[in-house]
Amino acid sequence: MAILEEPIKEVKVVKNYIDGEWIESKGELKEVVNPATGKTIAKVPISTKDELDKAIEAAKEAYLYWRRTPPLARVRCLFRLKELMEENFEELSRIQTMEHGKTIDESRGETRRGIENVEVATGIPSLMMGYNLEDIASGVDEYLIRQPLGVFGAILPFNFPFMVPLWFAPYAIATGNCIVMKPSSEVPLTQLRVAELVEEAGIPPGVWNVVNGGRTVVSGLLDHLDIKGICFVGSTPTGKNVVYKKCGETGKRVIAGCGAKNCLVIMPDAVLDPTVAALMTSIYGNTGQRCLAGTNVIIVGEDESFYQRFRDAFIEKASKITVGYGLDESVQMGPVRDKEKKERIVNYIEKGITQGAKLTLDGRKVSIVGDYPDTCFLRPTLFEEVNPDMTIAREEIFGPVATFMKAKTLGKAIDIIHNIPFGNSAGIFTQSGKLAREFQYNTECGNIGINVGIAAPMAFFPFSGMKDSFFGDLHPQGQEVIRFFTESKVVIQRWL
Amino acid sequence: MKLNTASAVISFAKELEEDSTKYYENLIQKYTQDKEIFLAFIKENKKNIVSVQRVYQEGITDAIEGCFSFEGLDTDNYIFNQKLSADASYSNVLENAIKMEEKIQKFYLDSAEVSKSLMADIPRLFERIAKKRGKRKIEIKSFK
Repeated sequence: MAILEEPIKEVKVVKNYIDGEWIESKGELKEVVNPATGKTIAKVPISTKDELDKAIEAAKEAYLYWRRTPPLARVRCLFRLKELMEENFEELSRIQTMEHGKTIDESRGETRRGIENVEVATGIPSLMMGYNLEDIASGVDEYLIRQPLGVFGAILPFNFPFMVPLWFAPYAIATGNCIVMKPSSEVPLTQLRVAELVEEAGIPPGVWNVVNGGRTVVSGLLDHLDIKGICFVGSTPTGKNVVYKKCGETGKRVIAGCGAKNCLVIMPDAVLDPTVAALMTSIYGNTGQRCLAGTNVIIVGEDESFYQRFRDAFIEKASKITVGYGLDESVQMGPVRDKEKKERIVNYIEKGITQGAKLTLDGRKVSIVGDYPDTCFLRPTLFEEVNPDMTIAREEIFGPVATFMKAKTLGKAIDIIHNIPFGNSAGIFTQSGKLAREFQYNTECGNIGINVGIAAPMAFFPFSGMKDSFFGDLHPQGQEVIRFFTESKVVIQRWL
Repeated sequence: MKLNTASAVISFAKELEEDSTKYYENLIQKYTQDKEIFLAFIKENKKNIVSVQRVYQEGITDAIEGCFSFEGLDTDNYIFNQKLSADASYSNVLENAIKMEEKIQKFYLDSAEVSKSLMADIPRLFERIAKKRGKRKIEIKSFK
């Protein structure tokens, strides 16, 4: 099968996009390496605080006229951006594969999901409307208007370089705010290309800014008093102890989407083949680097023959997964993002062995399609005989590792889920509507899948999350994020 | 060669449509009697490429089993002879065209079957194209 052409031909030095200008940073440069080929594809700056401050200043100035721009005119920019994204769909997708490692199917799926957020944000003239009521008292009317707040900051993760930034930015600017984005320094190229399209779409200078960097930029965004709110997606320790805390101290709004440890409950009446296919995507899709990835598979009941049939079907499918460079169309699973992440996953595998779990599929034994260094590659891994108290069953591994557990009843399975500190997502596979409803009703998780491996909310629904998976009140996407980016102002009027 | 991802299937569909187009282009250079019909097939092939690409790009999300839904498809089952030999009679050329359409129809039907767990649009389009391919066979047979 053909290897698709790489859109990045030479090492790019990434610039910041500030006030509609492409500005070279004075900060040191860090290499961006294609995790599949091991080749350097870009150099990204670790921008300085001064550079960030300039972006915030530009956004603050732009806000003064951008908030007065009629919502219809604002969304026309987004319509143009959407069209440009469609025109460049394939390039945007291949860049994601090159810098992140995911397969081309996964990248295209991500591109589609991102564009859907731009599409939903174009509905702002309706979605941002307030409401009113005449005669709350005789001759007195009351109405609510939604107003933008100013400048927002976005601190973005490595695992979805295209989609996650678009959970926020289109809504922020459609509602009349301005935004400063900090892409992950591991995957800056997708957002670089998006910023080029932002410029081409005619989004005015200062409205959408991109400042690349690391901790200095993160701290700068969190500390800056002109930043009204922070959108963050990343790990729980950073989200909980740094971002959420700091936003509380500085009076900022915050959306902090964090880590996860998602369980998939398999009832004995589950339809085997589609269940196993859904599990492959859930557990091994995006090489497990997804906050909605299923990892703990809890098989319910005492029917040993069902367990055997299920695990045999799972092993057969997982062991056949082709691993390699995501631009090779025959590849079903790409590498993890970098060497350090692979080492972290391998450490978890070793911990699982030490703690007594049975390693049925050992992903450390790598075989790759094509001639690539195995630096970042792993194969699908499966542990059986896992105890819910083991580290591999409780902590986020963020890699292609499945753990099989057994529970006698659905209630016991839900107990296992509730004993995990995270609450991002959980799924059940069953033909029983009654059990599915019981699961949906009782499980304390933000996103529930019923016969769905990845319960990824569409752009017009909030991307929820509970417990240690989310900090804040309103979630990304849809109506909730519009509330996040606007202040409700109530007016009561009487004409004398 | 095995086709095991959505991307591979979509690329292969494009390849088949392009090969079929080339076949008809060569055919009408040699035999002109049913030219209008074959030109319509060529136009339809181009439309199929766009439709398949569109339904895939608009339907694929990171949540569906794009990388894991296609199993049991092998390009060897669908490859056809697209070359026209210099001494081939019109009847031979038509016979070969029917075989080609059969192969392509089979590809779309098999792909539709294995992609049923994907969003409904994808298997539905594959089935529609397969149906049209069936009609083509009848039409070509009528020329003989």
